[in-house]
Amino acid sequence: MTSIPAPRIVTVRQNILKDNDRVAADNRRTFQSAGVRAINLVSSPGAGKTALLERTLKDLQGQLGMAVAVGDLATENDAARLRQWGVQAEQIVTGTICHLDAGMVQAVLPRFELAALDVLFLENVGNLVCPASYDLGEAARAVLISTTEGEDKPLKYPTMFNTADVVVITKMDIAEAVEFDLSLCRENIDRARPGVQVIELSSKKGAGLEAWYSFVRGLPLP
Amino acid sequence: MHEASIALSLIGVATEALHQHGGERITALTVRIGQWSAVVPEALQAAFPAAAEGTPLQGARLSIVSVPGVGACPAHGPVELQLALGLRCPVCGLPTPTLLQGDELELDELELA
Ligand SMILES: [Zn+2]
Repeated sequence: MTSIPAPRIVTVRQNILKDNDRVAADNRRTFQSAGVRAINLVSSPGAGKTALLERTLKDLQGQLGMAVAVGDLATENDAARLRQWGVQAEQIVTGTICHLDAGMVQAVLPRFELAALDVLFLENVGNLVCPASYDLGEAARAVLISTTEGEDKPLKYPTMFNTADVVVITKMDIAEAVEFDLSLCRENIDRARPGVQVIELSSKKGAGLEAWYSFVRGLPLP
Repeated sequence: MHEASIALSLIGVATEALHQHGGERITALTVRIGQWSAVVPEALQAAFPAAAEGTPLQGARLSIVSVPGVGACPAHGPVELQLALGLRCPVCGLPTPTLLQGDELELDELELA
């Protein structure tokens, strides 16, 4: 009778996303040595990432060297919209994948002349869940929420807000029309990420943009 | 739904560990998923069998341990967090911005054959 060997249990204790995190660390070193500040923009679809980027590219043109890597499921539309402001915008087509990962960003970096840039925007796929898990090697993560989305988003997606370096409330020009409760929203943001900087702005009307531009430049805020 | 991507990463990490320990295949595995990790255990459980097909993890039994969030309250020390309250002490409401646990996404144990 042959004896069946007992199954062997081994303790591994390893981060499931360690490969992503290793590549993210590579990206971070690349950005640091080129002197580029990479900003990861995340939000739900339609929260106004592209509108804010367009406005930023237009207003800071000539002051900052800027470029954009745009993650999108299929189309090239956002990159085309951004290129009209004279900056390089490269599309990262993610196919069925609902987030950018560090490898996708690394693959697109050779297309940029990083040494000539001050800021590289990483426009993530519109999704408040999945991108939260993936470090891209960014210097800062900006989470956008629009006044049309309601005040409870920060409580529904605590992990994304919890990893934010700044929270931007967009479409403030229509806040009143959609009966947006700003103080409740700020309270919910502060629950998810106590003490995080919150910027209220309107890309369309231009209100509140100075605070955002200070953040983009990496300046200490007043 | 990024649990399919997470499942693929999990299989990569597990396969690497299998080779290090000189096993043939993996019959069971345990992962630890923090409640603040943005990964839904049920979705990962659902995504896993298809991702494991054709790998040394095919047919493996996946056990998921959900790890609650624990924050550091300045007044009460370690406190178990509630998702609806955010990073706030459930006793006194003070901010607890540091997570002591609850954001893990970790392969814990393997059963090798
Ligand atoms: Zn307390």
